[in-house]
Amino acid sequence: EENTAYMPSPNIHSLSAPVLMSRKQTPSEFLKKIIGRPVVVKLNSGVDYRGVLACLDGYMNIALEQTEEYVNGQLKNKYGDAFIRGNNVLYISTTKRRG
Amino acid sequence: MADEPEPPVAQQTVEEPLDLIRLSLDERIYVKMRSDRELRGRLHAYDQHLNMIMGDVEETVTTVEIDEETYEEIYKSTKRNIPMLFVRGDGVILVSPPMRTGT
Repeated sequence: EENTAYMPSPNIHSLSAPVLMSRKQTPSEFLKKIIGRPVVVKLNSGVDYRGVLACLDGYMNIALEQTEEYVNGQLKNKYGDAFIRGNNVLYISTTKRRG
Repeated sequence: MADEPEPPVAQQTVEEPLDLIRLSLDERIYVKMRSDRELRGRLHAYDQHLNMIMGDVEETVTTVEIDEETYEEIYKSTKRNIPMLFVRGDGVILVSPPMRTGT
């Protein structure tokens, strides 16, 4: 049984091992595991935000670093840090960061 | 396979997203809101709902008109200045330090 020792790894850009989904885990366990990884956050409005997940809370409020905003697939904006209010979030997904 | 309760290791260095907003207090911030609105101003106060008090605010409202004949999209934006503003949190989408180049 892996001991979930918390070890943020912000410098790892591509992870060969996907987040283990082979055993049951609660959403909150997933959320703890993906901290520090590049993620895609899709909002209810359809806008995409790609960045490194700094932290999040139970309301799905999200703090991202090195954020890029995509509207209709087009890069519209970049933010150094971005806080996203949780009620707007449709999903959070991990992604391999495109260089 | 019983779930073992993890010993509370003193590793709570992870702040929650609201803590990161606290770092922006008294700083200028950029707020993206519903209804195609954006605010730039100084953050004086906030709460867990993202209700905010902002000072020296510039609000930008963006609209798109579609020309009936050419079907081209015409983007218009309207700005206004507000010395002191209460923002209701449910309209907030995103909060960020104002756009900086570099870093």
